Amino acid sequence: MTTRRPNLLASLIAWPLVLIIAFPLAWMLLTSIKPAAELFTRTPQWLPRSITFEHYTRVLTETPFLQYFGNSMILAISTTVLVILVSVLGAYSLVRFRYRGRETLAALVLFTYLLPSVVLISPLYLMLVKVGLANTLASLVAAYMSFALPYALWLLRSFMAGIPEDLESAAMVDGASRMGAFVDVVLPQALPGIISTALFTFILAWNEYLYALVLVNSDEARPLTTGVMNMLISAFNIEWSLLMAASVMMSIPLVILFAFFQRYLTSSFGAGGVKG
Amino acid sequence: MVQVVFEKVRKSFGATVAIPCLDLRIESGEFVSLLGPSGCGKTTTLRMLAGLEQTSSGSIRIGDRDVVDLAPAARDIAMVFQSYALYPHMTVAENICYPLKKRGVAKAERATKLADVAALLQLGPLLDRKPKQLSGGQQQRVALGRALVRDPSVFLLDEPLSNLDAALRAHMRAELIELHRRLGKTMVYVTHDQLEAMTMSTRIAVMRDGVLQQFAPPAEIYNHPANAFVAGFIGTPAMTLADGLLVREADKAIVRAGALAIDLPQALAASLPAATPSAITVGIRPEDVAVGAGPWAARVRLVEPIGHETIVFLDADGLSLTARVTGSAALHAGETVAFDLRRDRLHLFDKTDGRRLATVPSA
Repeated sequence: MTTRRPNLLASLIAWPLVLIIAFPLAWMLLTSIKPAAELFTRTPQWLPRSITFEHYTRVLTETPFLQYFGNSMILAISTTVLVILVSVLGAYSLVRFRYRGRETLAALVLFTYLLPSVVLISPLYLMLVKVGLANTLASLVAAYMSFALPYALWLLRSFMAGIPEDLESAAMVDGASRMGAFVDVVLPQALPGIISTALFTFILAWNEYLYALVLVNSDEARPLTTGVMNMLISAFNIEWSLLMAASVMMSIPLVILFAFFQRYLTSSFGAGGVKG
Repeated sequence: MVQVVFEKVRKSFGATVAIPCLDLRIESGEFVSLLGPSGCGKTTTLRMLAGLEQTSSGSIRIGDRDVVDLAPAARDIAMVFQSYALYPHMTVAENICYPLKKRGVAKAERATKLADVAALLQLGPLLDRKPKQLSGGQQQRVALGRALVRDPSVFLLDEPLSNLDAALRAHMRAELIELHRRLGKTMVYVTHDQLEAMTMSTRIAVMRDGVLQQFAPPAEIYNHPANAFVAGFIGTPAMTLADGLLVREADKAIVRAGALAIDLPQALAASLPAATPSAITVGIRPEDVAVGAGPWAARVRLVEPIGHETIVFLDADGLSLTARVTGSAALHAGETVAFDLRRDRLHLFDKTDGRRLATVPSA
């Protein structure tokens, strides 16, 4: 392999973009470790003169941050697990089986995704109240599934369409049941797609704000997004240091996830079909 | 002993009938090719035998079991796919052992069988590789190995050689013949390549539009095609098929095709059924046209020297003929040559339904 010469023009465009996008993140990190006294200096300080972790300790000990964090974790993980479970089987069905209304179903699924989520909030809320789920984590799981599932179905459907049917046929002739062939052959092939779909769903659930704001108003069920806003931003005051410390800690799970699965994300959208 | 029997098998996809009614009896240990142009139903037939496609009606027996309602796994078959269908995430060894693993064969026995197959197909150095790291020919071998390892009662092969280059294909063809001879297993082979079918099969089933046209040994198919379709499909270059008129005069039978009036030999004329229509199709194999001397003349339209033989396209007063000349012929396009036909080798077909009319008593 020869290393390609970096394209000068691309670099000239890419690097400023990276800097612009990275700036708020850097500022967030820097603000979170500055002593409160350094926050509002007349000439903004880039690097803190002294580093402190007191904001982190305060967020962790004096606020319900950990409770929100736990809520967000449960919320994101259960949404992801449910969405993946349903969409993997659903996508497989859409790709492999022929039944009446299959294409219509696929189109309808996409159609629901085209509706702006704001439109759906009120009806969804009323429905959740009726089934007695209002103000619970489960109501958010249901809400998130309602918009994560269609997307996941479409993503995985195109992914699975790229897996040659011969592979399954071969597995079935070789002695596997259909489910066995699915597990032995289809799942490993679809794994990059499943991982990127899972990652997408997790991020969606982790970062969601609007539904969380409308559907949940008790600390027991509040996720990080609305929780942090609620406790640190009041009408009179914004606790910038604490907000930034909380934001940093909020980002950590996503950073870890990306570090682990990034190669799947980049490889999955290009690859799909595997030549036998 | 494992015969494969199709009895009144019908297959339709929705309103489209792929196979109206198929009867086929493959004897134990035979190498049978299902041959035909694409869309003729040969792959569907094989997939129904494998259990990958449901029959609409009829029965399929492997040995003495009716397998129509059995899952592919329960049919005791192995299949090689055109795409090879190697499991990309498994190594060569894992690929080959997969059928054993699925049938709960013990680890030690798996290793022994893997070693046997690897030795047979010279896969030893490749066992730890992934399919992606193999050449087409090597992948082919692995697919074959995965089929062989389990010692099934019937082998199904779906155009296994069509993705290989010409030289490798010829080589693998020879290996498959050798393998069949050594194993003595029933093999069903789908191909659209008549050369593969002719060289490898004990019998060939020629199919068209889901209908079995002829099921016979290769020589029989070549020398006595059951109808005009088989006649035109088998043989390279293809048999000349021309409209003709059968005229009976006294005790003679004369076929007029173009400007030619061909006096049929006694034996051939005698074997014509009494109710023979006058509108017929005349089939002439290229090797049955003798160029150089004879009662007729034709203009040379095109000369294709191949080396050991030359294909000559002739134009005899509106009748296009293909001739095969051994060696290189000193012929040029545009010149006029004399030619003759081996009249006892003419093929006569009913023009309306293509049915073979007369059978030349074999010499």
